[in-house]
Order: sequence, then C-alpha cells, then structure tokens
Amino acid sequence: MSAPPLLHPSIPPLRSDEFPAGAAQWPPDLSRRDFVQLMSASLALAGLTGCGRPTLDKIVPSVAAPEKSPSANARWYATAVPSEGYARGVLVKTVDGRPIKLEGNPDHPESVGATDAITQAAILSLYDPDRSPAPRRRGETSSWHRFETEWNEMRGALATTRSAGFAVLTEPTTSPTLRREIHALLDAYPEARWYQHTALGRYDNAGLQPDYDFAAADVILAIGGDCFHQHPAALRYARAFASRRRVEHGSVNLNRFYAIEPTLTLTGALADVRLALAPHRLARVLNQLADSFDGAPNTAGLSVDERSFVERFARELAGGRPAAACVVGAECDAEIHAWAEDFNARFAGNVVQASKAVRSDDDPRCRGSLAEFIEDVNSGTVTTLAILGANPIYTSAADQDLPGALRRIPMVVHFGEHVDETASMAQWHLPAAHFLESWGDLRSYGGLATIQQPLLEPLHDSRSALQFLNWLRTGIWSSSYDLVRDTWRSASGVATASDFEARWHAALDRGVVDEPLPPRPENRAAGSDPLPRLDVADDTGTITVLLRADSNVGDGRWANNAWLQELPRPFTTIVWDNAALIDRTQAEAMGLTNGDIVACEVGGISVEAPIWILPGQAPGCVTFPLGYGRTAAGQVGNGCGFNAYRLRSAASPWMRTGVTVRKTGKKHSLVSTQEHFTMDGRDLARTVQPHEITQRADRPKPATDLFPAWPRDRYAWGMSIDLGTCTGCSACIVACQAENNIPVVGRDQVARGREMHWLRVDRYFGGEGTALRVVHQPVPCMHCENAPCEAVCPVAATVHSSEGLNDMVYNRCVGTRYCSNNCPYKVRRFNFFDYRAPQGSPVYLQSNPDVTIRERGVMEKCTYCVQRINAGRVAAEKENRRIRDGEIRTACQQACPVEAIVFGDLNDPTSRVFARQREGISYALLGELNTRPRTQYLAKVVAGSAPNPAPEPA
Amino acid sequence: MNRPLFTARTTHGVRIAILGCVLTVGAAAFTVFEYYRSPYWNRVGLAPDQPVLFSHRHHAGELRIDCRFCHSTVESSARAGLPSTQTCLVCHSQLFRDAPLLQPVIRSAEENVPLSWSRVNTLPDHVHFDHSIHVAKGVACASCHGEVSDMALTAKGHALTMRECLDCHRDPEPRRVAHAQVFSRRTTSATVSCAILEPVHARPLTNCSTCHH
Repeated sequence: MSAPPLLHPSIPPLRSDEFPAGAAQWPPDLSRRDFVQLMSASLALAGLTGCGRPTLDKIVPSVAAPEKSPSANARWYATAVPSEGYARGVLVKTVDGRPIKLEGNPDHPESVGATDAITQAAILSLYDPDRSPAPRRRGETSSWHRFETEWNEMRGALATTRSAGFAVLTEPTTSPTLRREIHALLDAYPEARWYQHTALGRYDNAGLQPDYDFAAADVILAIGGDCFHQHPAALRYARAFASRRRVEHGSVNLNRFYAIEPTLTLTGALADVRLALAPHRLARVLNQLADSFDGAPNTAGLSVDERSFVERFARELAGGRPAAACVVGAECDAEIHAWAEDFNARFAGNVVQASKAVRSDDDPRCRGSLAEFIEDVNSGTVTTLAILGANPIYTSAADQDLPGALRRIPMVVHFGEHVDETASMAQWHLPAAHFLESWGDLRSYGGLATIQQPLLEPLHDSRSALQFLNWLRTGIWSSSYDLVRDTWRSASGVATASDFEARWHAALDRGVVDEPLPPRPENRAAGSDPLPRLDVADDTGTITVLLRADSNVGDGRWANNAWLQELPRPFTTIVWDNAALIDRTQAEAMGLTNGDIVACEVGGISVEAPIWILPGQAPGCVTFPLGYGRTAAGQVGNGCGFNAYRLRSAASPWMRTGVTVRKTGKKHSLVSTQEHFTMDGRDLARTVQPHEITQRADRPKPATDLFPAWPRDRYAWGMSIDLGTCTGCSACIVACQAENNIPVVGRDQVARGREMHWLRVDRYFGGEGTALRVVHQPVPCMHCENAPCEAVCPVAATVHSSEGLNDMVYNRCVGTRYCSNNCPYKVRRFNFFDYRAPQGSPVYLQSNPDVTIRERGVMEKCTYCVQRINAGRVAAEKENRRIRDGEIRTACQQACPVEAIVFGDLNDPTSRVFARQREGISYALLGELNTRPRTQYLAKVVAGSAPNPAPEPA
Repeated sequence: MNRPLFTARTTHGVRIAILGCVLTVGAAAFTVFEYYRSPYWNRVGLAPDQPVLFSHRHHAGELRIDCRFCHSTVESSARAGLPSTQTCLVCHSQLFRDAPLLQPVIRSAEENVPLSWSRVNTLPDHVHFDHSIHVAKGVACASCHGEVSDMALTAKGHALTMRECLDCHRDPEPRRVAHAQVFSRRTTSATVSCAILEPVHARPLTNCSTCHH
C-alpha cells in the first residue's frame, strides 16, 4: 500500500504539551538542596526496606473440611447479573469462598462468553463499603425485629380493609419467581396495587420485542438507540455484527451499516454512513426514505448531509434484495417503531423476529407506572407503600414531584442495597441482599432463564427481595432457595421429583435452564406495501436537550462504583463527571470552550452543567447524560457531576425542546484522559478500503537488524487487536482492572495523568458529516521484543522473559520512571502514592490472590495476564503437553464481546493469533522504531463510497 | 625544582587507608548480607510454639503415614493444605482420646473452634509458589522442607531463600526424583527416573514472572 490513510482529527488539536500542566515543573516549596538531601536519605534507607525477618503468623485450618477443600484452586459458578431487569449470564470465579471476578458464560447465548464494562464492575458493588448494613427507621439504625413488630401491628388492619391503600413499587423484572411472588401478594391482598418504575427505556413495542440476527443482515439502519452497547442483547448483537466486519484470511463479508442519531453513541460510531440528525428532522428524513423506496425520490427540503444519506441508503436497497434490518432505539416515539416494523416487514425477511416481551412492563396485574402512582397518591388512595429496588426519588422527572407525593403517604418502606435518596424519604429502610448473596432467577432478552445462585453468605444483615415479598404476604421468612425451587418445580415439563433435581442441577451447572421457549409469532408476510408517512414537525429553532443514560453509571445505580467512575467515557474520556455534550459550531457561536458552565433552562427549572465539545452532535442538540449529581449514592458517587433528571418531564423523558442555554461565565475543571499518554502525529490507527485488505499494510522493516532473531523453539506470546470490530465499549479496561488488582486513584490524581489502567482505549476522530469516522484503539503493553524500557532500567526491574514477555519485577523497582519515559507507547503506570484501599476495607475481598498488590513507588504495566499464562502452563505441564491455543485467555480478551483481542503463541502456526498477525492488514504500532512489538493491530476496514455490489440472486 | 606537595610516605599511608576503608565497608556489607541469608536469621531449625505438640517424627516417620493423608491438596492445588480437626479425629476419635496432649484437638472438635497453628514455612507475599506442579515434576517434599519425618517438633528445614529456589530452577535435573519417591520420608540420592519426561516446556524457569507476578 502506498500511503495508508491517516486519520486527521476533525477538531483542531487540543494538545499542546505531552505532559499535564505542572508535571514538568519544579515544585516551588522544595529547594534543590532539600531535594538532594531527601534523595540521599531515601537512597540510603531504600536497601533496608527489604530486610524484614520472616514473620511468624498463624494458619488456621477448618474444623471440618468443606465438601471441596477451600485450598483447592479457584472455582467457577454460573449465575446471572441483572441488567435493567434482564439476565446477563456470567461465571463467577471464587477463591477461598469469596467471589473475585465475573466472566461471561459461554453457554449462555445472551452473554456469548463476554461481558460489558458494567458487568465486569458489578463484582465491586458486592464489596461496596457503603452498602446498607442494617435496617433504619427514620434515619436511625434499627433492627429487622422492630420492623417486623411494627408491620405485624399493621397486618391486621390491612387484612380487614382487604389491604386497600397498600401499594408496591418495583422495577420491571424478568424474574419468574419475583413475578410469582408479586402476583401471590396481589392475590392475598386483593385491593393492593403494584406499580413499576424504570428510568430507562423499554425494549419492547406494545408487548412485542424485535430480535435481530445481525450476522444475516446485509444492510442495517439504526435509528437512535445504542443497540451494540446499551441494550439487553448488546453482547449478542455486537458479536453478530462483528462477524460481518472481521477480516479472516484476507476476506470479509462486509455488511453496510447506516445510522441516524442525534448524539454520538458507540453504535453510531460504527456506522459506515452516519447522519447526525436532530429528533425533529427525523420524520422528514424517514418520509423521504420511504419515497425513495417507492421509486419516487424526493429530496426537497433536505440538507446536504441528509440528502446524501437518503440517496445512498436508497441506492443500497435498490440493487437486488439485500436483507436490510432497521433497529430503533428505546427513546424513539411509537410511530418510529411502527415505521421500522413496516420497514422490516418489507426488507428484513427473517433477520428480524418478534417475540413476546420478556420483562414485566406490560404485566396485566400491574396498575401502571410512576404517573399512575402519583395520581393515586394524590387522590389519597395509597397509605402504605413498599418500594423494592428502585430509587424513584432520584430518577423521577422533576415535574412529577414525587417527594411531595411520598410525604403524603403515612408509611413508606424502602427495600434496597443502599441508603439512597429514596431511603432518606422513607419511614423504614431495609437492606437488600446483593445478587451474588441470594438465590433468584432472571430471563435474558432472548427469553432464556438462569437460576441465580449465591456465592457467599450475605455480608450484612440483609434479605432478598423474594424473601421480603414472601414475608409481607405470609409473615414467615422463607429461604429464597425454596421460593426459587418452588417456581421451577411447577414449571412445565417437570415430571417427577428426581427429574426436577436433575434439571435443577443441570440448570445450575450450565447457567441456563433447559426449557422450551414460547413459540414466536409468525413474521408478517414480506410485501412491498408503502411505508407509513410520518407527521413532519416544524423546526422551532430552539435548542433541543437530549437526556441519555450515562454509558458507565447507567441511570445512576452504578454511581458508587469507583471502577466505573474512573473508566474514561468512550468519546469524551471524561472521568468522575458528566458533561453536557455540544457541537463545536454551536459552542463557538456561544463562545464556549470545554468546561464552561452553562445554565440550561426549561419549564422553569434551571440546571447548570459544564460543557464538552464532541463531534457528531446534531445541530442544535445538547446531550445531558443522566446518572450523576447524586446526593446519597455513597462516598464515591456523591457530589460527582450534575443531576440531569431535573430536566426530565414525565411526558418527554428523553428530550426537551424549547430550551434556553445560557453561558454563566463559570468554569468547572472536567477531568479527561484524552491528552494523557498521547502518541499523536504518527500513523497509529489505520483504516483501509475493502480492496486493500490483502495488501501488506505494514511498513518495510529496516534493511539491517542488529538484534538477534527471537528463538522459535518455545512459546512466543503475542496478541492481535482488531480495530475493525472494536466497538470501544471499554469492557477490557474494567476486566483488566478486576483481574490485576488495579487501584482507583481518584479525580485529582487522574487530572495529573496518574490513572493506573494498564489498558487504555484511544479514540480517533476523522472525517466530517456523514463520513465521520471513529476508530477505537485499545493500547496495552506491546511487549516489544526490543523493549526500550528495559535498556534504561538501572536496577533491571523490567526484563525480558524467554517467552517474550516484558516482565515487571515490582520488588526490584526503585521508581526512577526512566522506563516510562522511554516507552514510546506510554503504557507504563507509576504508583505515585499508596493507592491501596484502607486496612480492613471490604474491597480487599475482591483482590485476585494471583496478582501482587503493588505499593507506592513502583512501576507497573500490562503483563499479558502472566498469572493466567502460568496457571495454563502448570495445567499443561502436569499433563506433559504443550499449552493449547485458546487455553490461555487474557482478561481483556475474555471480556471482549466482539473477539477483537486474540492472544496466543506466535510460534504455533495453527494459532489464531498467528493467523491474524499474518493478515495483510496487520500492522505494528510505531513499527518503524524497530521495537518489534508482540501486540499487533488489524487495520479497520471502512467501506468505500460505493454501496456493496448486489448479491447474486440465489 | 618543585617538591611534591605530599611525601611518598604520606601518599602511601593514604592509599592504605583508602584501601582499608573499602575493605572494611566491603567486609561489613558481606557480613550483613550473609547474616541476612543465614539459617539463623531465617529461623531454620527453630520450632515455634504450637497449640498441639504434634510430632511429625511419630506420625510420618514411625507410623509411616503418607504426607498426603493430611496435606491432601498438595497434588491438586497451589497450597499443600493443613488438615482439618476432623482429619486428626479420623484416627484419634478412637486412639488416645484421653491423652492430655490431644485435648486441644478434642476441644476444637467439640467447640467447633479451629486450631490456630503457627506457620513454620513461609514465603513472601510477592512469591507465587505452586505445590502441585513441583510435586508433579518430581521435587521431593524433603527437598524444601528437610527431613520432616525426623522432627519431633516441626521446624523449618531450609531457609527458603530465593537463592535456594534459583539453584534448583537453574538446573533442576539433578534434584528431581521419580514420582514414587516424591513423598518418601527421606531424600534419596538424586536419581532421575527414566519415567520422568524431559521438561521441554520448562525453559522459562528462571524468568522473573515464573514466580513474581
């Protein structure tokens, strides 16, 4: 290839200096003489730190050994993580009886063996020191016994009135047992009412949820949403989509992806053609698309970008009949969903299948949502309320005045894991067990059920939601285990008791219940009916505010999870904060720069928010991420960001029009990692056109190489990262953090460029308008064969292993940081302080015992998960064989939903990583430096301007 | 003609003094270093106080009970494992029930309070040692733990310094024994059985990350 296309940022360079401000300056209060004195003293004393005499500590064996000895190696249990009520199948790694890591369950079709960032971080929430330890009555610590006494006094009164005035508020759930318990409660208390509240969207359309086979779709049109990132089936969808983007043996069956969205999402960033469109323009564009399908193209009234999008998409569908699927985001209106349904009936064939909604949103026993609830409270028909799991005080719309409504209810019981905003409004708060502490069951988006099994005894005096509901009805504390088993014992297809036991154990073992799925309704016959035309709204000329779930903390429930707080947001790379995302043109027109605080006013409510300029925003649209500004999240999440829920209205939860945005002149220092560890100005993230796939992308190697060749007779560990399939979801970063005991350093330290993530995801913007191109590039340690870091270490703390690993020896490291200076990839991280959690913190229970916890003054970096390599080697050596390909998977590889990361032995010609590094589009990052990195990248294949050739008729 | 600033005698004296300093510092460093690595500093041969006066000499030496009877996970896990109280009671629910020496064990079982032993052999936290692979590759227990079956009170048999690890990792072959002899009570002369496969994949034994990660 002559010159691989270089991505140019569409925005002017923001970076002026490699180092954050102040990093290279001499501190003013330290004289040179003091410095030399301190350094000599440190040097003199440094040697003594290793001189501890071996201590005499205690070892305590158990009295009676458990069924399987606790000193055996790690064990895995299958369970499910709730994600907006849906199941994510996981395997939990436990060591010595404490769960330490979640991995995707390969047997679970919805998890496909992978995880997202939130699932990876869910393990930390189990050990959250801020979890509620005990029941609280009006803010004072109390006991379950007192609650039981108080409630039992009311129980008689409830029975006499047929429990009129009793209400239960839950989140929508897929759990069969939870639904059974709620129904039983409603049966026992005929006048009781059940309401459901979720701050996020619904994934069904009037009881039917569309399900997509993206591997079979040749053309995909996404309207809003974020189906490859924030969707209950995102992992499966992303895996299927990636199968049409992955180059294997020089070929790829490329699909075409079109996206219309008002604000940049990870899904939209994958699109070949992406139209940034304000919501009020959507109807117009879809009408024009419909016109084009009917052979009457009409592009009047469209902007240049819109016209080009419509023409290209129409051309895509014109030739032949590719399977085209349209996927619509949960935040879109019902008529858009209806439009997509008609589109799919006409073009999608069997790519889209509708099935009955899995979640309880439309349960006939449910009285309604928060709106109906508030109506009932205001009419005085609710006197006793139990809130399970939800945090409606924080997530309700400002115009609903839920706090006022709750104040009118004499008895509010909040049952949840944290003493959150809602708990502080309730008479009683009761601690709920974590999902890793109790039995339960959940269904995935596809409808498959998983039995959740507890991994440890509850850390606190907490009960499960199933137990609590059952107790409300019966007054007896049953075990969740019995409740879940009762549900499945009466499930269809169970014949005998022994049959049930066998099925039960099989379900626990596999993590999926083997049961027939309900039949799917037949797809509508494919026709060529014209698509419906939508009502076109007029442009009001005002600013539209878009309200979206934050990609890390979701609706706010993960706000107290430090891993997710410190995980850079996919595009902005902001940490510990949210910011209003705004287009550059608009920001310039208003004289705004990053961090300027604007006051956003609508409907009499004003919210102040710092702004962040992001490419890909639709004109006139400002995005406000939800989930921040919490006041009772805990010590991690309190006081971070601003609360965008205040801009929500019950009628229009996802956007507000007619908003005034005003510059306040104040500034907030947002912390973003985008300028940290930069390597820009070089050809780093490469893209190729489809016809260039087979050409060699790598630069020619230097003619002479003075370094000896690497031996071929042993393992040579290497990695290949596929930029073409990487979605930038950051699951790898959190997986790495969980696996390798990587500390969280906090906002101030990140601002100084001291974040500790061993793996970072760089992102590059290129192109403009519909050709906006985003490339995400995960950058771990490259494990260079000629590693520049090793040559400069004065104490040989970083050395090469015989298998090509760049080993880091923490005990030798004296913290000169020369290695980091000399690393061209900037992947080394230094412990500037003792970042370990305080002594006695439950967070330690999460630590991986196979990885050393680093102390202050020590350099660290990606090890290719050497502890996993060693474990794999031990297993193989016991059987006197070589390690098989795929037997060792790094944490990042295991988490990746799209299999963008492959790790293995480069000396094994049958290994996947060998095949990938032999692809023509495989290249080494900064290969011209002759560092010979073991990690290589596959360039991203971007479709050219012409649509795919029409497939041959079958 | 200029006279030298210092006489030859002075220069000579200074030279000897400098050499003396260097030698003294060197000797001091050597002494400290050797002391630090000495068996004494590493508590070799010192038996710490234990809740039960358990004798390996009696159980392993005289009664010839296999190591794995009590240290049951040594072949499957990184840790060899310490016997639970119930393991002791496999025999002692019948034998010597009333012996005063055994009372802590009986009490532990009755009160369901585990015995709290003093650790004898220990490695620093940044060392990741795996018993199972060493046993599988023919490293005898006695190679690291010494002649435990001769110990009336259990003490450290070797200093377990990094030098000892490396001595073996650099050249394991002479120290490996046939699998049948791994758990034998005495270190046999180093005879490698033909049954042991060549450690073809075990090249990286001296890589730092083999033990430190």
